[in-house]
Parts: sequence; C-alpha cells; structure tokens
Amino acid sequence: MDPITLGVVALMGAAATIAGAAEDLESDIGSQSNPNSQVQLAPQMGHLHRMINKAASGEPVSYGVWCGTAGAIAALAMSAVHIPVIAIAIGSTVAAFVHAIYTVTSHLGRIVGQSQFEQPLFMDVLTQSLGPIAAHGFIASFGIVGMSYLMTLPLDGLGHPFPLPLLAMLWGITIGAIGSSTGDVHYGSESEYQKFEYGGGTPVAIQGDIVTKAPTGAKNSIDVGNFCAKYGGPLTGFCFGLIVFVSFWITLVFGTVPGQIVGIVIIVLLILGNMYLEKFARTKFGPYEE
Amino acid sequence: MELISLITLVILIVAGGICIGGGVHFIPVGGAPAAMSTATGVGTGTAMLAAGAGLTGLITAASMTGQAWYLVALAGAVGAMLMMGITMLIANFVYIFGVGIVPASSKASIDPITKLDQDPYKTPGTEGHGVPTVCFVSGIIGALLGGAGGGLVYFAVDSFASASPVLSGVNATAAAGLAAIVSVGIFFINSVAASYNIGGTIEGFHDPKFKRIPKGILASAIMSLVAAIFVILMLGGI
Repeated sequence: MDPITLGVVALMGAAATIAGAAEDLESDIGSQSNPNSQVQLAPQMGHLHRMINKAASGEPVSYGVWCGTAGAIAALAMSAVHIPVIAIAIGSTVAAFVHAIYTVTSHLGRIVGQSQFEQPLFMDVLTQSLGPIAAHGFIASFGIVGMSYLMTLPLDGLGHPFPLPLLAMLWGITIGAIGSSTGDVHYGSESEYQKFEYGGGTPVAIQGDIVTKAPTGAKNSIDVGNFCAKYGGPLTGFCFGLIVFVSFWITLVFGTVPGQIVGIVIIVLLILGNMYLEKFARTKFGPYEE
Repeated sequence: MELISLITLVILIVAGGICIGGGVHFIPVGGAPAAMSTATGVGTGTAMLAAGAGLTGLITAASMTGQAWYLVALAGAVGAMLMMGITMLIANFVYIFGVGIVPASSKASIDPITKLDQDPYKTPGTEGHGVPTVCFVSGIIGALLGGAGGGLVYFAVDSFASASPVLSGVNATAAAGLAAIVSVGIFFINSVAASYNIGGTIEGFHDPKFKRIPKGILASAIMSLVAAIFVILMLGGI
C-alpha cells in the first residue's frame, strides 16, 4: 500500500463529501428533485408560493450534463494552462453558466405553465436564488471533476482508464441519484410539510398543502437551503464521500481479490446495521395509534 | 476477428443485459411518493437509482481492466452493492432522524426476513415509508445483478474494441472510453425498459409487481441482442 495513493483516495473522499453536500443543497434550493411534485401541485390546491421550480430534468441526468461539461472543458483547458486546479475551475465556471441558463429557462417555463392556477411569476425570487444555485452547482462540479482528475493520476492503485470528461459525467449521474435518494427526502418530507406534526409520513390527503410562510414573510427557496443545510445536505455529502472512499480503499489496502471479499463483508455489515437501525426506530417511536 | 470471439461478445452482452434488466426489478424505489414519505422505498426513480448504482459498479469494474471477466464482474457487483447499501442506509437515517418515522413496508404485513409486523408502524394515509430490511436486502441483490451485468458488458466491449482493427493505432484509453459509453448505453436501455415493465414503484422481490420479471428479462435479452449486433457493426466485426 502506497501511503501517497491512500492520501489521494482520502482527498477524493473529502472532495466527494463537499460536492455531495453542495449538490443536495442546490437541488433543494432549486427544487429539482421528486419533492418538486408538491411545488408543482401547490397552486392547483390553492397554495400560491415563492419557490423555484426547475425540475424540467431529473437530477441524475442534469448533474451528468453539468459535471460532464465541466470535465470536458477542464480537459481542454489543461492542455492550455497546465495547472489542473485552474483548468478545473474554468470548466466548473462554464458549467455554472450552463446551469444558470437552465435554471432561468426551466423555472420560467414551469411557472408560466401554472398561470392557469393564478400562480404569479416573481422575478425577485428568480434573481435572488440564481446566485446560490449556480454557486452550489459550481462547488459540486468542482468537487466531482477534481475527484475524477485525482482518479486518473498515474499512481499505484489509481490511474483509472476512463477519460476525465467521461468519469466526471458518470460520477455526476451517481451524485444526482444519491442526492435524490437521501438529502431530498429531508426537503420533501420535512421542509415542505414543516407545519404538520413531526413524526409521520405525508398522507395523500394533505399533498400539495406545502408550507408557504416563513417566520417573517413568505417562505422562499433560500429558506429551504437554510433548513436542509442542518441535516439532509451534510448527510448526502457523507454518503457520497463514504461511497467514493470505500470503493477505492478496499482494493488499495487489501489488494485486488481480497479487497472484493472485504467489500462483501462491509455490505453484510451494512445490512446488519440497517436491521439494528430499524429495530432502534421501532423501539424509540413505537406504533401509530388506531 | 474470429467467430468464437463474436459469439462470446454476444453472449456476454446479452447475459449482462439480462442481469441489468432483472436486477432493476429487485431495487426498492418509491419515486416521488417515497420522497414525501408516502410510499415505501428509496425516494427516486427506478432507472435513475439503478443507473447510479450500476455506474458506480462500472467505474470500479473498469479499475480491473485487463483482469479476468469474473473479476471485472465481481468488482462491478461489489461497487454497485456498496453504493446501494450506503445510500439506502443513509436514506433511512434521514427517514428516522430527519422525518421521525419507522421504515415500514406496505406490500408485506410481516417482514419475511426479520418477521417484524409492518402495518402498525405505517403513518395512517400513507403506503408505508423508509427502507425496511426486506427492501434493503432486495436492493442489495438488485445492485449485485446490475453491477455484475454492467461489468460483463464493459469487459466484453473493451476486450473486443482493444482487438478491433477500427481502433488499431489508437491508445488504450479510446477502447476503454468506447466500452464505457457502450456499457452506459446498454445499462440505460435495460434499466429504462425495466422501469416501464415495473410501471412506477416497486418494493422488491416481495412486491406483487415482481412477478412481471420474466417479461422484463425477455425484453432485456432481445434489446441486448440488438445492441450487441450494433456493437459488432460499429467495431467492424463483420
């Protein structure tokens, strides 16, 4: 085991953690994932809102596009500037512009589509949210492309055969799937329905009745980011960082074949851990009363 | 190219496609309702979660480029299972500590693995929530099949492309990149078709919708066969 390679893998895990947290918070502020169905439904149920609504594409595919764009531009820029960190920043900046254009067009399109339910288009909502969305998207792209670049370094145990843009695109799709599966649940189940009692799922009867008021004034997408940054976002980052780190750590430390056996042992531990967690929750919360 | 390598390529791609298409049926996805804790499973789409796991498997499988086919498939399976396992566990952390609910299945009144009753722990008005143990194990099996299938397709196309006269004189990265793109394509073809067969959400192997798997596997085999023919034509095999 080469300690330098192990350090690089740890750095990849750290970059993935930051990218994962930023990705989830961006998708919460931009309301891009499955919980957006409630933002879309709210005006039909008579709840007008000041939320961004840009789920014209699924989160994994769109992050595949942005990270792939950032990776492709970074690969091109590396031949010109020869300083990887600057090349990656250039690539991520271009991706952030693409992201901003997508946000404007998809938000305008979706909100205008809701005008039949008297949902107004608030231009100040769009302008105040555009910066945080593009900035979080930049951090996510930078982390993903940086991590992908580290994977391609010609070090013992690394040196991945895929080209940088392809790796960035694949990891982009993966982080989109992870963010959509983990942190966005905090947005959809809790932030959108915070006015209902804690400790329950969302019954079909109350769907669309999302929170539209904040402690002062109307609730907006930045409030969602503040809420989710306390739990869903960091947990998504931890999840993605752990996946990236463990995937490479097992083969690096234990070797090619024993590493796979260690991987299977970790998977068994995950199943047992989930069983323990489920039993803990049942004991802690108890059943619902009839 | 020899006839045997053509036949091997087709067999590996079709076998990989069947693994991917079949594996997607095991993955517990609740779609948008699960993101609001209104349905059991992971809160995202079938094809997307399968693709996320499968592509992680593809990246770990490609780390084994040059090794035997079974090692490439094993690395793909382990990578995909790790992604799926960690994602489902962290999702349950969000459900339990973020939303304050207990993972509960709606398709099984008693979890066939833990023997725990499910109905009293479902929020009234919902169809369950979270990822209970039976769904978790089903998801791991789905990731195993999906990751191994992706690894098989990658191994087949990479081996074939490396020997192809079309790519002679080009560096090995081009063959690996082409194999990766073809693998991603075949992965999406099979996972999207499987998600149509499922028709929305599925909890795993205990869900009545799981009985649709034979049709899904047949469709995957046919689609993968057609894809294999295109791969052969693309690489100048005939």
